Amino acid sequence: MLAFLLASANAQELAAIPPLTSHVMDSIGMLNQNQRDALDTVLKDYETRTGSQIAVLLVRSTAPEGIEQYSIRVADTWKLGRKGIDDGVILVVARDNPKALRRLRIEAGRGVQGTLTDAQSKRILQDVIAPHFRQNDFYGGLVAGVSAIASLLDQEKLPKRHDQPASSESLSTDSLLPFILSAFFIAIAFSRMRRSRSAFGHSGWGKTGGIVLGSGVGRGRNSGGRFSGGGGGFDGGGASGDW
Amino acid sequence: MKQQLQKWLAIALLALSMTDCGYNDFQAKDEQTKAAWSEVVNQYQRRSDLIPNLVNTVKGYAAHEKETLEAVIRARSAATSFQITPEVLSNPDAFKKFQEVQGHLSSALSRLMAVSERYPNLKADMIFRDLQSQLEGTENRITVARQRYIVAVQEYNVLARSFPTNLTAKIFNYEVKPSFTVENEKAISTAPTVNFGK
Repeated sequence: MLAFLLASANAQELAAIPPLTSHVMDSIGMLNQNQRDALDTVLKDYETRTGSQIAVLLVRSTAPEGIEQYSIRVADTWKLGRKGIDDGVILVVARDNPKALRRLRIEAGRGVQGTLTDAQSKRILQDVIAPHFRQNDFYGGLVAGVSAIASLLDQEKLPKRHDQPASSESLSTDSLLPFILSAFFIAIAFSRMRRSRSAFGHSGWGKTGGIVLGSGVGRGRNSGGRFSGGGGGFDGGGASGDW
Repeated sequence: MKQQLQKWLAIALLALSMTDCGYNDFQAKDEQTKAAWSEVVNQYQRRSDLIPNLVNTVKGYAAHEKETLEAVIRARSAATSFQITPEVLSNPDAFKKFQEVQGHLSSALSRLMAVSERYPNLKADMIFRDLQSQLEGTENRITVARQRYIVAVQEYNVLARSFPTNLTAKIFNYEVKPSFTVENEKAISTAPTVNFGK
């Protein structure tokens, strides 16, 4: 009971999750503007090329939670990665965390754990990022870490950008098929109509066809310029470490 | 006259609230808890699958830690032999037993990891390091899955206990579901946090 009370008291002062606005979220000035922009461009390009979303989050501390608890809350809020493919990755650095809470974490989406395994995540933290960080080269460590993550994701057989699983609400051949078929029949109807005008007359065929086709085309994605998570899922997989 | 009007108003209100009897909500929330539960089971299974390799690797460097190794093997077979049927979800005793056997395995594993700290050669072994990372990741997945299950059950139980949806629950036999208890959550989530070093 006491533990429960303590837990709920703690719950009120958990570290805040910054709203997602960019691929590199640095509110504590670990990077300078140029470095931030450069890393952001790399991650943006990677998303444009592959569809997978990788983000870097730099915070002061995750206390009272461990970095794992904080990081899964971030993952559940941001929902990086494409829906149903779950190819999002978050690299979290909590610069001033005490040792027990850990300072580095890779949070791997469900869909990338085939190649970005827990063991690989751990190696990236330990062997790629930590050596740079130990010499206060934060930018170098992040760039090296991000490219290690990206090259592992490249090995994963993820669907290409713009083709998504049938379950999602975007255009695919499956969802288009009925409309193609109906367009086909409408075309036949039109050609017959032209031949025997008297039989059909102007019987509203054209209007119906327009509506059916319109509803098909209208189901495309909304591709705005703003950055937001694609609805990817996380299960707590990844690794934590330190430098 | 006025009294009658009030009576009709009360009946109308009651009828309105009855349409919101929550049957569909029960369907959705019930499915949600089941999905969350199967994730919990999956992750425990994943941990269980890691153990044979882990034990063999440790054995290669620390064969005389027989007791610790055997404790893990025993706890694992106890955990895997406890069948996880869907009934566990509505049976508080079986649920408690499930927590217990998995909790024993957690503490046996954390003892093994603590012991392995004493063997530098083991700690340097690449296979062991990878297994360690996988175990750590899986323990975290278990924590996350349990947390999600707790939330799902909470939502479901609120529905099953509050009026008027509790009437629906009675009629259609939607019983209150057991969840991971706080003490247990604490014990289990702290037990395996052996700091695996760097």
